[in-house]
Amino acid sequence: MANEEKFGGEETGDAGMGNKASLFKDDRAEDIGAIIITLIIVVAIVLLKK
Amino acid sequence: MSSESPGFFRQLPSALPGLVLIVITMMIIRIWIEPWMAHTKIFGMSKPLTDAFHLNYILLGIMSGMLYRNIIFGGKIPDMLVDGFRLSRLMIKTGIILLGSLYTFSAIIKLGFMAIALISAFVVLTVIMVLWLGKTFGLDRSMTAVLANALSICGVSAAVATSPAVEAKASHVAYAIATILGFGVLTMFISPTIGHELGLTNMQYGAWIGTGILNTGQVLAAALAFDPQVGPGTALAVAEVWNVMRVIAIPFAVFAVTLWYWAGKDAVDSMGNRQSLGSLLVEKFPVFVIGFMAMVFLTSMGTFGDVGVESGHSPSATIMSLRVTMQWIFGFGLVGLGGFIDIDELRQAGGAPFRLGLVVGATKYVAALLVVLLLKQYFV
Repeated sequence: MANEEKFGGEETGDAGMGNKASLFKDDRAEDIGAIIITLIIVVAIVLLKK
Repeated sequence: MSSESPGFFRQLPSALPGLVLIVITMMIIRIWIEPWMAHTKIFGMSKPLTDAFHLNYILLGIMSGMLYRNIIFGGKIPDMLVDGFRLSRLMIKTGIILLGSLYTFSAIIKLGFMAIALISAFVVLTVIMVLWLGKTFGLDRSMTAVLANALSICGVSAAVATSPAVEAKASHVAYAIATILGFGVLTMFISPTIGHELGLTNMQYGAWIGTGILNTGQVLAAALAFDPQVGPGTALAVAEVWNVMRVIAIPFAVFAVTLWYWAGKDAVDSMGNRQSLGSLLVEKFPVFVIGFMAMVFLTSMGTFGDVGVESGHSPSATIMSLRVTMQWIFGFGLVGLGGFIDIDELRQAGGAPFRLGLVVGATKYVAALLVVLLLKQYFV
């Protein structure tokens, strides 16, 4: 994997996906993105099923 | 690094081609390939392909992602498509939060004590084993520290979370990732067969792989490959509760291994730049776990209607829709995950770190199975 200078950052990726395996600037932003998407899905489903 | 990132929303349009490929792939798998395999027998086999090889949309999704990267695109996802594949981690995390709709607090508490005791024991013993073997194998302390958390908790996120605290190079983390993946891919494919051969229940199988398999995505894949159903009491539901408890251990394990690392450094080395432990723990805690817990809370409060657990009632329409949505999102995420599994990278993960990973990973995998078999009566 590239970029010897990067120390354990997002360049390394997660869940075994190799370098820069995310469109987010860091893991925290991605976590918040996942929470927001979930919120949108849940609200949409709850409203549709009413 | 962060300042160089163009940001999520700016990159979103460029993610569309890859995302379209992922969505179309999963639709083809779920609408045509999986149903066809469920009815097709070859070479005089008594069971259809899906039963004979325990194949389902999850494994087919990962395999298609691997096929794209390693065969069709010759070892690299093309630039035009790669941003779409980079959404896979987001989709897996979203799926895990939605997974919270399968649990109620009463079910977690019921399953909790044994899970907490066993997972804690496995995390602590694995860390000790890696630290000891690291010395025996003559590994660098940073490499050993990264491997200790990678192999004891949930693989790659733990390796990444540990690395800045122990002065690890990217190559150390890369080795840990390749080691975890190499071993994880194997366990992901053989676990469903072993589980079926041993006649494990969903509870027993979920407890085993939730403890023994190293990576969150692979736990998910192995659970769904054993039983594609998503609902309370399924292999997926059990394995993910165990896995989430393991994820929660990340800050504690980072703390412990960091202490070990710095305790072994001489005073001159310890004067270098390093992040404070407190800020490291706050920074690296996986926030999506809080989303999962919030989902469990809402489900426990009855926000989405009947979950359809022991009562025998059918789940509410809202709960059913959440589960169907979750299956699709996981499916998309795992096609993307397959797209990041590089066969050459796995081959390159030779040497001492890989041998250590193999010894510890195999020991943990087998020990977890033995413990589950020994305590079979507790997991029914």
